Formats: sequence, structure tokens, C-alpha cells
Amino acid sequence: MRRLSRGRIAAVSLTLLIAWVFVALFALAVGSVPIPPGGLIHRLLQYISGGSAADDPLATILFSIRLPRIFLSSLVGAALAVAGAAFQSLLRNPLADPFVLGVSTGASFGTILYSIFAASWGAVEAAAGLAFGRPIAAFAGAVLVVAAVYYVSGGGSHSGEGSQRLLLAGIVLASFISSINVILLTSTSQADLRGIFYWLIGDLSRPVDASIYVVALIVLAGFLLLYLFSRSLNLISMGEEEALILGVEVRRVKAGVYLIASLITGAVVSVSGPIAYIGLICPHLGRMMFGSDNRILFPAVFLFGAIFTLLADTLARTLLSPVELPVGVITALIGAPLFIYLARRRSGL
Amino acid sequence: MNRTAFSSSLEARNVSFSYRNPVVSNLTLELTPGTVTGIMGPNGSGKTTVLRLLCGLLRPDSGSVLLHGTTPLSRLPRKEIARTIAMVPQSPGDGSQLTVMQFAMQGRYPHLSLFGFETARDEEITKDALEMTRLTQYRKVRVCELSGGERQRLLLARALVQQSQILLVDELTANLDINYQIELMRLVKSLTQERRLATLVVSHEIHLLGSFADRIALMSEGTIRCQGTVSEVVTRENLNRLFGLDFHVRPAADGLLEVLPVINERR
Repeated sequence: MRRLSRGRIAAVSLTLLIAWVFVALFALAVGSVPIPPGGLIHRLLQYISGGSAADDPLATILFSIRLPRIFLSSLVGAALAVAGAAFQSLLRNPLADPFVLGVSTGASFGTILYSIFAASWGAVEAAAGLAFGRPIAAFAGAVLVVAAVYYVSGGGSHSGEGSQRLLLAGIVLASFISSINVILLTSTSQADLRGIFYWLIGDLSRPVDASIYVVALIVLAGFLLLYLFSRSLNLISMGEEEALILGVEVRRVKAGVYLIASLITGAVVSVSGPIAYIGLICPHLGRMMFGSDNRILFPAVFLFGAIFTLLADTLARTLLSPVELPVGVITALIGAPLFIYLARRRSGL
Repeated sequence: MNRTAFSSSLEARNVSFSYRNPVVSNLTLELTPGTVTGIMGPNGSGKTTVLRLLCGLLRPDSGSVLLHGTTPLSRLPRKEIARTIAMVPQSPGDGSQLTVMQFAMQGRYPHLSLFGFETARDEEITKDALEMTRLTQYRKVRVCELSGGERQRLLLARALVQQSQILLVDELTANLDINYQIELMRLVKSLTQERRLATLVVSHEIHLLGSFADRIALMSEGTIRCQGTVSEVVTRENLNRLFGLDFHVRPAADGLLEVLPVINERR
């Protein structure tokens, strides 16, 4: 196998980025109102040169509805995928994913609590507090659940059996908190039951608001920080004692990765709801194609996540068009069988 | 700092450590460049704990582990420790899907910066270490396909890639056939002399340590019972006290000792 170089990482990242652009163009074109390639390119050129016609309904669909949604789904997917890759490396378990670990559900718990309190405070919501408040509340919920999962599973060592216990604790706590989420939501007299129901499964159909910029900032910064840990994580995935011997500050790296992965998970879940299994599917694909060196895996998985989620969301809004499915349905339909396959292979069944 | 000014590379002073019960008590031990020191003792005597204390994986409850006679290990960042002290664990971790080359190259970690990628020089160092441990032909083989002896050699190779001055070796020869045991110990010994390493070998193989170590410490129940040169320490009386068995200890050619337990089953 070739020595990993910056050049190879750049080449892989660029290739995937180009692939993403093509998928994005495809996603722009399809929908309940299909837009032919010629019209799409024409309007794109107009948009880039700043000369979009204000009264063109197709341009409105393209750039006010589809384009923001494309960025949103890519951002959410990239974040969940790279968080999954980080958790898997940290826990030395290919089944660890923000959803399975309960991190996503914890983040939605934080989001729901925030919206309940923010609504009762009213005035606060009007201020810029909204943009920052929601992702941060989601992060707090995520960290809370990570701590609870860690505590319930007995914490300590994560090798073999320990990390299986951690996943089990995550799944159990996630179902527990999901129930609380439903109680909270139904008891606060929400009219939009369909919206709530969709959001709980993971949904990208809500209009994008200003908090997306904050979320984007958190995700990009978090990704860069995780990348700084990628080499140390390579060694930690060999075993914590091995990593210590080779010079890794294991405790610092673990705490950092836990926090950052929870932060970016929290940030995206606050807008999209807990979309399942993206953090399982994309790193699995990434490892099959590029091996398990996190220095190349993280950027590849980040872009895989964007592409995959964009495709899944496009499928979700076109499959039963004009009715939209929540994207979480599509990812779970693909992810759950993969989870079973990986779990069986791991336990040697 | 002029490192040659100090005679000791790594030193434990009155080190004690306990989990619930004391595991190591009042340990004083010195490793010097160019010397193989052996720690010998029965199972559960605290040998491996000593090793873990000496490379900072465990922190002593009292006493201190000093690098070059001055710097307490507990004050150093892990990377710096790993540049100075390499440890060969008993078995590799979960790295079985890596190739031999990738596995050995992990030893470069403490020498690389945050964004650092291995350079051609790092690759050269790794190839040298594989050459020395006779693993060159397996460079592209996955670790899980290696035999037990090859794995032990690979662990030693990775430690060499760290280019440290201190080498700690934990039961390198456990579960190996006698010819491999001797081959590995020979390699450790010659590396120690060529590279002026301060080497510590933990083992319960009396005959190996008797032949290859320059100094020996006998351990039981967490305490070093006696230490010194091989001929001072490896005596019938000491071994009898340590293992509760009778031994034949005879001088052999080249100043070596021949040690044989007396197994009297046909009484």
C-alpha cells in the first residue's frame, strides 16, 4: 500500500467534491416541478452573474427552495458522517454512530427543551439568541446523553465487550429519551403534529433560517478540529495503552473528540432532527474504499456524507411526489440492514 | 542538556504502587546505556507493573521515576516520553488489519508534528528496523497473517522505529519456541550494544536472562529481593528462595551460566 500523502488526500477530496457538484445539479433539476438541463444551466449562469429575473417562478424554486435545502442536507450529512467516523475510531467499534449512541436523540431532546423555553420567553427568541441558542441547547443535550450512556454502560475501558455495552446503553437510552421527547412535544399543544412527527425521524423539508450559518460555522470548525486529532485517533483505534506508549495524550484526545463530535452532531440535529445511520453508512463506505487511516477517511467521509444525504433527501422528496417523506426514513431503510450485517460479521455469526 | 553526562538513562527511586494491595513496593532500579538489565520473578511478582511504571503508563504512589537522573517522568508530555522510551508490549493491539510496514511506521508518531506526514526518511528508518528484525519480506503482509514469532519481531521493530535511547521489553519471548527466543534476545542484546540503549527485559525465563542480561534483579511479591551482575544474583540460594525449587547453577563457557531446575519426579 502506498504511503499516505497530502497529494492523495487532496486528489480524493477534489474528486468527491466534483461528484458532489454533479449530485447537487441533479438535485436542483428534479422535484415536483422538474427543470430541464438547459433551463437549469441558463438560470444558474444568470444567478451567478447576479441577473436573476425576480418574477421567474422557476428561479424562485431553484434558488430560494432547492439550493438552500441542498446546502442544508449536505451540511447535515457531512457532519453526521464524520461524527460517526470519529466515534467509531474512538470506541474501536464500526457500529458506533451518533444515532446508535444516543447522541442524536439527546441533541433533539435539547432542541425541544430549548424551543419550549424560548417560546415561553418570547422576547429572547426575537433577538439573535435564536441562531446560537438552538444549536447550543442541542449540544448540551448531546453531551448530557453521552455522559449518561457512558455512566450507564459502566464507563471505563471501551475495548471489545465494553464498547458493545456502550452501544447497548446508547440504544436503550435513545428509546427512553425519544419517549420523553414525544411527551414534551404533544403536551405543549403543538398544532403541527405532522411536522413534529417528521422532525423526530429526521427531516430536511423545513425552511432554512439564519441559524444555518451558525450550524455551518460549527460544523466546519468541528471538522477541522477533528482532523487535527485524526492521526492520534488512528493509534487510539489500536488500543489505548498502545497509543499511550507511542506518545498519544489519550485522555485529552478522547475528551476532545467526544466533545467535538457531540457538538457538530448537536448543531445539525437542531435543524434536521435525528437522522439515523448516516454516521454508520458513510464511514463504512469510506473504509471500504480508502482504508481506515483517519487522515484520508475523515475528509472522504465528510464529502460522502454530504453526497449520500443529498441523494437520500432528493429521493425523499421525489419518491412519492408531491408528498414528501422524511429523509430519516430513507437513511434508516438503508442503514438498519447494514447495521445488522456489520453486527453479525463482527460477532462472527 | 548533555545527556552523556549522566550515567543513568532511567531510574526508579523508592517507587511504590498499589491497586488495592501493594503491587510494587520501594523499588529502586537504574538503567544505564549499553546495558541489558533483566527483571526476573515468578508470575504475579509485579514485573509488568514495574515496566508500566517505568514508561509512565502508571504513576507511582510514592517515589519517582527519573529520566537522565533529573526529570520526573510524570512532568513530561507523552510524545516526549515516547521519543525517549520505547516499550515492547506482550502482544499487539487491534492493528491486525494494517500491513507490517504501516504497523511499524506507527513508531514515527512521536517524531511527527500535528499536521506531519511520514516522509521518505521516516520510511527509510522503518525499512531499516524491518531489515534488522528480518521482516522485510513481509512488508506488505497484514499483521493478522503473521506467526507469533513474527509478531513479536514486529513489535520490536516498531519500538526501534521510535529511535529511543531506552528500550523496555515485556516478556518478548513468551509462547515462542526456544530457537526464536534465543534469536530475539540476541537481537536485543546486539542492538543494546550498538546503539548504546538502556534496555530492560522482563521475563521469567531464567536461562535466557542468565545468558543475555548484564545485570539482573530478582523480584517477588512486588519487591526486588536482590540485584547485581548475573553471577552475583543467579545463585542456587536466591533461585530457591524465589521459586521454592532446587536448581543446578553451573558456570559454562564464555562466562555464561547454566541454570537447570531440579525436577525430582522419580523419587
